[in-house]
Amino acid sequence: MEIYLPIAEMSVHWIVILGMGLGVGFLSGLFGVGGGFLLTPLLVFYGIPSGVAVATTLSHITASSISGAIAQWKKRAIDFKMAGVMMLGGFGGTGVGVWLFAIMRRAGQMDLVVSLTYVPMLGIIGGIMLNESLKTLRAQAQGNAPARIHPVNHVWIHGLPLKARFRQSRLYISVIPPLVIGFVVGAMSAIMGVGGGFIIVPAMIYLLRMPTNVVIGTSLVQIIGIAIATTLLQATSNYAVDIVLATILVAGGVVGAQFGVRAGAKLRGEQIRLLLALLVLGVALRLLWGLVVTPSDVYSIAGS
Amino acid sequence: MRRLLFLALLLLATPVSAEQLVSGISQDLIQITSNYTGSDIVVFGAVEGDQNPDNRTPRDVVVVVRGPDTSINVRRRDRLAGVWVNRDAANLSGMPSYYFLASTRPLKNIAPPDALTHYNIGLQNLQPDTVHSHHDYEPFRQAALRHLVQERLYTETPGGVEFLSETLFRAHVPVPAEVTRGQYNVEVYLFRDGVVESAQSTPLFIDQTGLERRLFNFAHNQPFGYGLTAVLIAVIMGWISSLLFRRPT
Repeated sequence: MEIYLPIAEMSVHWIVILGMGLGVGFLSGLFGVGGGFLLTPLLVFYGIPSGVAVATTLSHITASSISGAIAQWKKRAIDFKMAGVMMLGGFGGTGVGVWLFAIMRRAGQMDLVVSLTYVPMLGIIGGIMLNESLKTLRAQAQGNAPARIHPVNHVWIHGLPLKARFRQSRLYISVIPPLVIGFVVGAMSAIMGVGGGFIIVPAMIYLLRMPTNVVIGTSLVQIIGIAIATTLLQATSNYAVDIVLATILVAGGVVGAQFGVRAGAKLRGEQIRLLLALLVLGVALRLLWGLVVTPSDVYSIAGS
Repeated sequence: MRRLLFLALLLLATPVSAEQLVSGISQDLIQITSNYTGSDIVVFGAVEGDQNPDNRTPRDVVVVVRGPDTSINVRRRDRLAGVWVNRDAANLSGMPSYYFLASTRPLKNIAPPDALTHYNIGLQNLQPDTVHSHHDYEPFRQAALRHLVQERLYTETPGGVEFLSETLFRAHVPVPAEVTRGQYNVEVYLFRDGVVESAQSTPLFIDQTGLERRLFNFAHNQPFGYGLTAVLIAVIMGWISSLLFRRPT
């Protein structure tokens, strides 16, 4: 069964697209990430033009994040104040991101910049998470009390001004770090079609020291805000949102996300972190591979 | 435009006494609907007049279908500090977005290379109008041809034109799903002794229709409303799913 996409100007097997939405939705419900960093490359691999893939993935991110966020909201696991502060930073980042997007596209260095920033970032985040979750799991296997995460005390973070109380997160910290994290993630979302959950979640856990149970819900709310803003921006500036493609992806995504949230409830926090760490490292390795391996054809083409 | 002019001149220049080409296409409008997966058109025709049995030098028919012009960016990667980086680039504009050629025999048997170049026939004779590049663009042009052949947007099929009788011929033209919308030109050439004796050009239109057309127009005419619609669909579907999947606890 094939269906024609009016913006991508090509026809696709809708079952394949539905399956991609389902699978990535499951992961997004499980880990509290939008799944864009998996879905965008999957769509490009399937043959969707990368501009359309980047812009349309954001719809999928919005829907599965909303579905996940409602589930988290019922568990009272969202810090709306924190999400709001990060979103503010995020909107600024989105604007800057769209501007950078245009510059890099013109220079033809889009893929390179994306890969070069992704590889070390994902490698470090994935490595830290893997190490920490393995340590916790090992300690539990030996019957010890679960090892507490001992923060490298971020003295400089506590020294920053503009402190605010985040009740849900049981934190009293400056608003500057969440603003900066939001900004960086907003810029990335405009450039790469990712919600940025795989950066926000570790940043909340290890940088802001938020309790793991509110991290997922809060990151989902922040991702929803950024994804909506970026969708509107992509639709008005690039005409790259394909509504037919989006609807199929979303249909798979929202169902997958529900199962993901359910599966997540059965797992312990450190198990979820271990799985996410492996996923993040996998993506980093895949990108590294693309950078260093000799391409089968050194020429590539792009219409304009 | 330049090509149409060239073709018109060619038609005027053909000798009156010679054989005449009459051709048509099975469909002059392809409408892209939601279940469009590519289609197939048939180019058919006849060679009329001059049935002198002494005049039996080989004659050949070449069918060319050209899509709307486009510009193609070709980039070349080089290894820099162990990492593959896009270095050199060339922009080729005025290349067809789709090119199909079928002929009764391989092109090299139909006419000498310089004649094919003169008539602008064959994949190897596709040249861009303008080139933006700091280098010799030939390797970039070859790379573009290679990629488009791989994507089946450029095709050359010797033997694709078959004669059903002394005078009747036919060719199947596959139109893949990934084609650009716009005006296509179906050109039919009659070759004898390596020169074009008669030629004919017919336009073919490929366009979206129905819901696809409306969505496309919506996206371009009211981008903000379109974006908002996309967001609303996502929000509502996300919300509905969480209602449907509510746990009984």
